[in-house]
Formats: sequence, structure tokens, C-alpha cells
Amino acid sequence: MRARQLVWIRRISQTFFLGLFLFLLVESRLPEDAYLQYSLVFSSDPDLRLSHPVTFFFQLDPLIWLSSLLSGHRLIHGFWWALGLLLATLFLGRIFCGFICPLGTVHHIISWVKPSLKGNRMIEANQKTPGHRIKYLLLIMLLVGAVLGLNLAGLIDPISLFFRSMALAILPAIGTGLKELFDVMAASDIKVLNHMSYAGEILVSPVFGYGYPAYKTAWFIGLIFLVILFLNRIRPRFWCRILCPLGALLGVFSRFSVLRLEKDQAKCTDCKLCSRRCQGAASPMPSQNWENAECLLCFNCFDACPEEALSFRFRWSPKSNTWPDMGRRAVLGGLVVGISLPLFAKLDGHAHHVSDPRLIRPPGALPEKNFLQLCQRCGLCMKACPTNAINPTLAEAGMAGFWTPHLIMTQGYCEYTCTLCSSVCPTGAISEISAKEKIERPIKIGVAYVDRGRCLPWSGNGPCIVCQELCPTSPKAIYLRKEVVPGPDHAPMPANVPYVDLKGCVGCGICENKCPVRGRPAIRVIAAGESRSLENQILLTGSVS
Amino acid sequence: MKPNHPITRRQSLKKIARISASLAGAALGVSPLLSHSLARASSTAGKGFVVEGIGSKEGYKIKELTRKVFDAAGGIGKFVSKGDVVVIKPNISWARRPELAATTNPEVVEAVIELCLDAGAKKVRIADHTIHDARRCFALTGVGLVAKRTGADLVFPRSSLMKRMKLHGHRLDVWPVFVPLVEADKVISLPVAKVHGLSTLTLGMKNWIGGVGGRRSALHQDIHQSIVDLAQFFNPTITLIDATRIMITNGPSGGSPSDVAVKNTLILSNDQVAADAKAAGLFGYDPGKIGFIRLGQKWGLGTYESQKLIQQRVML
Repeated sequence: MRARQLVWIRRISQTFFLGLFLFLLVESRLPEDAYLQYSLVFSSDPDLRLSHPVTFFFQLDPLIWLSSLLSGHRLIHGFWWALGLLLATLFLGRIFCGFICPLGTVHHIISWVKPSLKGNRMIEANQKTPGHRIKYLLLIMLLVGAVLGLNLAGLIDPISLFFRSMALAILPAIGTGLKELFDVMAASDIKVLNHMSYAGEILVSPVFGYGYPAYKTAWFIGLIFLVILFLNRIRPRFWCRILCPLGALLGVFSRFSVLRLEKDQAKCTDCKLCSRRCQGAASPMPSQNWENAECLLCFNCFDACPEEALSFRFRWSPKSNTWPDMGRRAVLGGLVVGISLPLFAKLDGHAHHVSDPRLIRPPGALPEKNFLQLCQRCGLCMKACPTNAINPTLAEAGMAGFWTPHLIMTQGYCEYTCTLCSSVCPTGAISEISAKEKIERPIKIGVAYVDRGRCLPWSGNGPCIVCQELCPTSPKAIYLRKEVVPGPDHAPMPANVPYVDLKGCVGCGICENKCPVRGRPAIRVIAAGESRSLENQILLTGSVS
Repeated sequence: MKPNHPITRRQSLKKIARISASLAGAALGVSPLLSHSLARASSTAGKGFVVEGIGSKEGYKIKELTRKVFDAAGGIGKFVSKGDVVVIKPNISWARRPELAATTNPEVVEAVIELCLDAGAKKVRIADHTIHDARRCFALTGVGLVAKRTGADLVFPRSSLMKRMKLHGHRLDVWPVFVPLVEADKVISLPVAKVHGLSTLTLGMKNWIGGVGGRRSALHQDIHQSIVDLAQFFNPTITLIDATRIMITNGPSGGSPSDVAVKNTLILSNDQVAADAKAAGLFGYDPGKIGFIRLGQKWGLGTYESQKLIQQRVML
């Protein structure tokens, strides 16, 4: 095949997969026109699900599959996509990096639109450096760590990283910015502006979310993402060459690649055009040894060569390729860091013994240990949550749980009949549950308690009962009793005051969310009592382990 | 239960394009949504009436009962004129399936929309500022499907549709109001009858808490007067209380079929206070002992004294 055609096929493929990724990203939320065939014979609350396979890219990602397998000993749903990709890589090289990876495509576009360097300096920047070994160090660290039970792969896995950054930082940043604009227009007294605000919202909200979600500490996620994008100014596709652990994994697997760069030294005029356009610093020049594990299969060198000294060919020979140049230090370093990190993770107070009261996991989440072994911090549950309750943690779950999901009830609450987050988790760290299970078992994520000093009726500041009204369980876990409380003029005053029945409370947090006492509500949810844990309990239950 | 998505992406894109086109038109001053002023007939003019419709026979049709109830009041044509923009305010606050009676029965909503369209309404909208996530409420309560079947607009409670307005209440002054509920020719309140921990019952007048935004949870600190202020502000053309199923305990959210009693009753009135008083009877309450009903009469919204009303009863 001609080089030009190959390059165009690559570009079309990159555009398609980046488009697909962004489409699935946007679709990772309930649509506005979700509806069910209602019937009077519903036997239980029905489940709403997303209509697109939003976890596709996570299933395609071998690093997510391997780290879940090594750490959580679990084959994730749809892992055969990843298996297929590894098999393809074994014989074709890093086609994922060149043709599919949406983050790689973004780096590629940035490096192409605004090349960081010109002429000879670009040729120099595109030479292999020892820095390329860092990605192998990171890969070994992640895999060794995963074997020892600490799964941090999601922090730097390109699919997780890109999804998290887009879903939690970039889209909300644009969305909330637009919302502010629309709000100003809607508040105006000029009719035309009101209509434009409404029309704008109709166009924009399907993309940026209906409630304009915003996530706590997401600025940090966004900042890291921008830094990673900025690195393309130093070298083209800096991330892919030097940092990406998935690229390293695929590089290792390109061992038997039959798609090879054939060089014809005789035709080469040493113009170095191939090296100037090389995306992976894979030494395409005929005077150098081609680095098969570094090659992103962008086919730029093939396309650039004016002398036809380079070509990509299928060569069915039993000879395997050169082993990726990891360097002894990177291997040893990866091993050392991979072994020490799981130990470091325990140096976190008693984070692994005592659950933080704020660490309220989504309904269906596995017990903490198994949860952390599987969670990829991709942010899909956070994106899907219709009330914006699920947010990334910082310190609540210790180092091992950095950026894992937890519910902040002042931001949102867990809707009683909603099980959407459990249906989108790519690795099953949140196991899929039905609304029927959630209600009937019930699946508790914590319990609420009343802060009597802040509560309006308890503190003699007037009637309220909002928490009782909104409590979704039947019978209500928040109940009212008529009591006499000290009124404002020191006179005894009868009032309906709320109590929480710990047995019935599921910790959904709608009481905390809607409590009229703002800032720190008068009724709050803590994680104790969550049904996924045997230890984190308050009441004496039937079966004690 | 499998989710059902008969709308394809293409269709929804088309729909968005259509809506935005019509709104672009609106922006040029031919608004289908917002240009209608508050000029609607005062519902308290003339003598008030209360029609109670009861489906006593096994397998009665809710649609037929609804039509009969309106016919007894003089026909839908008395309330909805040709070319009107009608907005219906059901109570779909909770993402709950219809049989739990936490939300207005979708069959009643569908029946009323069809009546309005028969009467020549130009456009029928359904609007409610829900408590639970609106998308989930629309889907689970069945109202989303009703909107699709009948072609009514289900207005999504967007922040650009909340506007601060003067309520001129005794307790509430300025509050964010869900605009589609006031910018229509005719307003139909279509609540479900439920018990409530603080206001005793939630019926027609309390339905209007779902018509505002802002810090709604603070309204509970003076719930009865707040209800009356809102009812006075929204002042619907008619109120049809859905008591086909009522929630007799654990209200207003319910959650169990045992919280529900089947009453097969619809109550139609042009007097919000009278409608609520009539519905209070279904729960065995004396209307005069319920704060917002008493206050409603005190401030002149209507009356709960049955001798001042034309009363009718329809059986099916």
C-alpha cells in the first residue's frame, strides 16, 4: 500500500476513535428523554440504564484488564476486547497507539498543529533518550504493585486519565462557564436574551449535563491534564514516548510484530526527514536500528521519505524483534517502587483499618479492600450520577484510594431507586445492582444522624420536618415525635422533632442535601452502617463475623 | 424491566433542531412559549363548583371518568378555548412508579391532555419542578411516555426557566418561579392526594410548591401560609385532584403498595380550597382543621363550606 494512503487511513481511524470516545463520554449520563413503558403491573421499581456501551474503551484497554486481574483476581466484563488487542499487538505492534488511542490522538493533534520545535532541533528531539525507559519503570511498578494488592493503574492509564480529565474537569469547566452566561441572560429583563438563554441551554445541556455537574477538587485533575498536554511543547507526544504505561505494555507485546519498517540504506540520502516527522522517536533513519517497541505506527517516516528508502512490510519470518530497551535501572527501579508502594500505602494513619466517616461509597461498591483493587478512578460513575453526588476523594480513602469515588451529600444525594453508577463501572468495583435489590436488601451506604444543636425544631427555632418528608424508605427511617423543646423565650414549646431509625436508614443523604440549614446541615450521613462492610457497623446485627 | 428507548439519536437530534429553530423564532418575537401574558380568566369569578367522579364499577376507564367529570362541570370547552396554550402541573416530584401513588396517575394526565387537545388547545405543556432528578421522574412516573404519546411538551426544569417574581404573598415576597407555569393561557393543576408530615395533606394548593425553585426547603418553616401564598400566585384555571390512588401513610414519598389506598376518585373544581376540602374528606379529615385550607378561605382564595358551592357527583 502507498504511504500516503496508509497515513490517511491512520488519520481517519484516529478521528473515528477520538469521535467515538467523545461521543461515549458525552453519553455517559441519562438522556433528557429517557422514559419507560409504564404499566400498572410493575412488580418493583424499574432500572434506568444508558443505551450506549460507554465502557467500550475501558474494555479495550489491556492495562485495565491486567491490573484488575492481577490485583482483584477478577476478569472484567468484556475483557476479550483487551485480549484481542494484545493478540493484535503481538503481531502488528503498537497499532493501538497510532490508530486508536484517543489520548494519543489528542497529543498527536497538538504536536501537529503547533510543532514544538523546528528543523534540526526537531530531529534532535526525535532521537531516543534514556527518558523513554521511564514508561517501563511505571509499567513494572503498576503491575508489581497490582500483584501485591495496590492497584494504581487507573491514575496513569491513558483511557482512565483522559476520561477522568474530560468528564470531571474539562466538560464541567466549559459547562459551568456557559451556565453562568445563560443565567445572566435569563435574569435579564430583555425578552430576546431570555429566549436565547433557553435555546442555548437546550443545545448545550445534552453535552455538558443537565444539572451542570461540577466536582470537588476537579481543578487539580484538570491542571494535571493541562500539564500533560503542555508536555507536547517539549517533545511531540511526550506522554506516549516517555510516560504512558499502556504504551510500554503494548511495546513489550509487539515482540513478534510482522509489520516491519524495512530500510534500504543504499537509497538513503541522509536527509533525516523521516526522523523529523517520527512521532515515537523510534529511530526510523536507515543508519539507525529501528525501535520496534517505540514505534507508534503513524507511518509518517514512510510518507516523508522522498527516496523510497523506507517502507512498511509484512515479513513472516520466525525471527522476533529486538526486546524493548528498558534498561536495567528502569526494571530494578520499577520493581523497587512496585514493592514499596503497597507498603507506603499503609503509612496512612489507620486509613486501612478505620473508615473515614466521609468515605461514603456508591451503592453496590465492593468491600473496601476489593473495591480499591478494582477501581480505576476513571470517573465514569461520577459522570453518570444524575445528582452529582459522586465526587473524587483526596485523602478520605488514604493514598491507595486517591481519586476514587465517594458521595458528598451537600453536593447531591443517592436517589433511592437509582442504580446507574453500578451499571457503568467498567471493572465491577461497583457491582451491578437492581433497584429492587437496592431497596429490598436494602443496600445501605451509611446512616444519617441528627445534629440537635443545629436542627431547627430541636433547637426551638421553629417547625421544619424537611428530612422526614424527603426520607424515601417505607416506613420512613426518619420519623417525627411530638416533644417539648425550649422555645426562644425560654418557654417550653411543643415541636415535631426528627429521629433516625438506624435499622431503616440507608444513608441516601437526601435529608442532608435538602436540609434548610446550609453549610453544615443539621442532619448528616456517615459511612458507618454501610452494608458492604462487616466491621464498619453500629448496631449489633444477627450474623457477627 | 428493560428500558425502552424508541427515540433514536437521529430523532432526538431532529427534535433538538426543531425546538431550537422554534426558539430562534421565539427570539425574534414570535414566541410560542413565553409571550403569553398572565391575562387569564379569573377562576374565582362566578360561583364555585366541585365535581366528584367515582369509578365504582370494576374495570372502569379513567379516560371516560375524566371526560364525565369535565362534562358535569360544563365540558372542557368552558375552560380551554381554541388556540389556547395550556400548561398542566402534575405532581411528579418523586422518581417512583405510578402505582405507589407518590405521583399523579399518568393515565389521568394523558386523559386531561387529550381533552385539552380535543378542545382545540394550540399547545399543551407539562411542567413540574421535581424534587428528584427530573429525567428519572419523567421516566419512572410514566409522564415521559404520556408526553411522547400525546405530543405534549414536557418542559425540563432548566435554570434559565427560573425567574425571580413578586408573589405578593402575605409571607412570601420575591421567589424564583418556574416560568412556563405562569406564561400560559390556561393552567391546570393536576395533583395527587397524599398525606404529609407537616401540612397533614398534600393536595391541590400544595402542588404549587413544585412551581417554584430556590430554597424550597425553607418554606416548611411556615408551611400553611407559604402554600396559600403560592396557590394565590399561580391561581390555576381549574384543579383536578387525582385520587384514583391516594397515599394514606408514609407520605409524601411512600414507597410501598401498602401505603396506598385505591379510591377511584377524581375531584374537579375551579376553587382550589374547595377541591382540597373535598379531597380531605377522602382521608377522613375535617377540612376546617387543616391549616392551609382554613387560611385559603381566610385570604379569599375560595371556600371549604360546601353550602356555598355547586356540588355534583358522577358515578361510572
